[in-house]
Amino acid sequence: MKKMKIAAIAAACLFTVPVFAAAGCTDEEETVVLRVSNWEEYIDLGGWDDEEAIDIANAYTGEDHIMGVNSVVDDFTEWFNSQDHGFKVRVEYSTFGTNEDLYNQLNLGDVYDLVCPSDYMIMKLLASGDIQPFSDDFMDTSDPENYYINGVSRYIDGANGSIFDQYGWSGIAACYMWGTTGLVYNPERTDEDGADVESWDMLTNADYYKSVTIKDNVRDAYFAALSILYEDELNEINADEKMTDAEKAQARSDLLNATDADTIAKAEDILKDIKENVYSFETDSGKADMVTGKVIGNLQWSGDAVYILDQADEEDTELWYSVPDSNTNLWFDGWVMLKDGIAGSKERQIAAEAFVNFLSRPDIAVRNMYYIGYTSANASEEIFEYFDWCYGAVTDSESEDYYEFDNIYVYDVSYFFGEDSYIYLDMDLLDVEGAVQTNKYSDDDYIAGYPVYEGGTINKGRQAFGQYPTADVIDRSVVMLDFGDDLAAINQMWINVRCLDVKDIPVTTIVIVAVAIAAIAAAVVLYRFRYDIFYNRKEKQA
Amino acid sequence: MTKAIKLRFNRKQLCIPYAAFLVLFVICPLLVIIYYAFTDGTGQITFENFINFFSNTNTLGTLLNSIAISAVTTLVCLVIAYPVAYILARSKFKKKYVLLMLFVLPMWINFTLRITALKEILTAIETNIAMYPFLNTVIGMSYDFLPFMILPLYTSLSKLDKSLTEAAEDLGAGGFTVFMRVILPLSVPGIISGVTMVLLPSMTNYVVLDMLYNSTYIMGSLIGSYFAAYDWNNGSMISLVLLVIIFVITLVTNRFSDSGETGGRTNIL
Repeated sequence: MKKMKIAAIAAACLFTVPVFAAAGCTDEEETVVLRVSNWEEYIDLGGWDDEEAIDIANAYTGEDHIMGVNSVVDDFTEWFNSQDHGFKVRVEYSTFGTNEDLYNQLNLGDVYDLVCPSDYMIMKLLASGDIQPFSDDFMDTSDPENYYINGVSRYIDGANGSIFDQYGWSGIAACYMWGTTGLVYNPERTDEDGADVESWDMLTNADYYKSVTIKDNVRDAYFAALSILYEDELNEINADEKMTDAEKAQARSDLLNATDADTIAKAEDILKDIKENVYSFETDSGKADMVTGKVIGNLQWSGDAVYILDQADEEDTELWYSVPDSNTNLWFDGWVMLKDGIAGSKERQIAAEAFVNFLSRPDIAVRNMYYIGYTSANASEEIFEYFDWCYGAVTDSESEDYYEFDNIYVYDVSYFFGEDSYIYLDMDLLDVEGAVQTNKYSDDDYIAGYPVYEGGTINKGRQAFGQYPTADVIDRSVVMLDFGDDLAAINQMWINVRCLDVKDIPVTTIVIVAVAIAAIAAAVVLYRFRYDIFYNRKEKQA
Repeated sequence: MTKAIKLRFNRKQLCIPYAAFLVLFVICPLLVIIYYAFTDGTGQITFENFINFFSNTNTLGTLLNSIAISAVTTLVCLVIAYPVAYILARSKFKKKYVLLMLFVLPMWINFTLRITALKEILTAIETNIAMYPFLNTVIGMSYDFLPFMILPLYTSLSKLDKSLTEAAEDLGAGGFTVFMRVILPLSVPGIISGVTMVLLPSMTNYVVLDMLYNSTYIMGSLIGSYFAAYDWNNGSMISLVLLVIIFVITLVTNRFSDSGETGGRTNIL
């Protein structure tokens, strides 16, 4: 009897489980897995403290503040699945460390639907035909839910003559973050007027022997080397009054994208000088070394520069960010869909485009900016408000952010946010040359009683300048293109720089090697012939 | 049902897991390396990578640099480890395993953590560690590899028969003579084992180098940078040449230890 019972229960179990499972399935919609690969630490992972909440009304969630409770990826999944798309989405989120890592992963057969490489890698992927362009729906400005194309700065994308339009990336890539490269430095330990840090020469300047760092990355290092090599030519172009802006941009780009054998050889020499002079070629340690004061200067991407400045502020060290006055590298990281991943699946493309749109939703863009320190390509009102909230001068002495300061500077970012976009900054947060006092803003009660300045040139500043450089910094910036067929030659040059050339070996090293080899050889010989040496002597003694 | 199932394996069958491991993770990758080393980017057979290795002054310089770093590291380790192993092996202290454990303990901590700590200590001493890249690299490597030197030396010295040294003393040998003629020759297998365990990895361990801000490549970083630059062919050739060098060194040292007395050599290969 007992056996019968057990068998009956077992049978019941066996039959009921699939029935339950099947019942569950009928309600469920098909789930599409979206494979996303992004830079490490390049998205808000949530978990903010209550104090971190940003006091900007969030129209998208209905709250009076913007705050990351859950990770952006989780929020996207929830947001997407709450809508009626006829299918559900699940995000498989992974990260990569460098563009080259991503490229290697793709070549080794890893499949992603949506990745976020930098400008030159987008060019490379585009040239090899790996990129699936965005759909027309995605680029349609009439749909208010198309947060990317409606929010992106017209300076970057979505307009004739925008940067993405110039390079043919419009509709191919969706800009995520952007910035410049420059030097983070400690003003207390550089020269008085800060002329040293306004030049890429700082990397080879013997006054900063073993106290500046450079990126351990061939592209940034090569750009710095070419900037040093062509400094005079670049300054001439900047000062030239006959050339048009377009001609100037072209001339700069030609110089800094030169990859001929002669330029590479010259860059190699400069990079060897840099190697002699710098503290380290760093991949990530530069941030900490800068904050702890191990180094005075640090070649940085603007986003990381803002992060470092913030970190240093917490340690009560005041660091600044400088964009050398000859030129800078303007860079972009953009989302692209990959043909291998999307593979013609309409659902997956919808999910991928929705993901990009979600990241471009102003509140999400603010969260990401706050979390990672980089500058979003989005130019929505909320982003501008966030910029003002972060850095704008506080004149209300009741406010907890208030501190005493002398002058107001009208910091203009119209090139990015559209006409008449400026914020009031404490002038001590910038290094302005030739600013003029103005009465234009005297109607504004907010700044009543403060001397107000505008104009002039700014090459150095604090976080606000790092986050959104001035229009003249942008004017002298150059987008660094893919090396193309010269990549191998430049990589070999980079390896040569990092290697020890036999011809350059110092005498001391030769001596050390010789002594070490002699010692090992002696020990070996001693052991090999120990019978002859030790026992013979023993016999003699006996 | 009460009878336990009897498992019977003969020796050959017991080898199967290891043989499978060997084929999958040692032989196969090796064949892939050899394939890449003797082909160019398009898959054509070529000896250019080989010629490249020996004609490129940068590669040769890097090889010398690696050898210099690893040789000095090995010497430093040997000089520090031998007295320690000797004292440990000779000590009558009953809890000498505790002592030994103290020396091996650092191995339980992740070595990047240890090197990070070392970096701070060196910064405190030297102010700017970038000034002495070679010295720091040797210090870092020695710090990292010291236990690998102590252990084989300790094994070989503790297995040394005490009656041999007693006999030597009875025959009138002084402390120094006993050491030079009895203890040192008998510990040679341990020395060789320790040297192999330190010399070879320190030629390629570039993480220590990177973390201590030595901007000059050693072989490990050179291979890594070729692979990062999609040049698998040259990278494989350098790995292969390095493998041959290591193989020759191992062969030579094995010959020496085989011809010597069977001491406490811990077999690693």
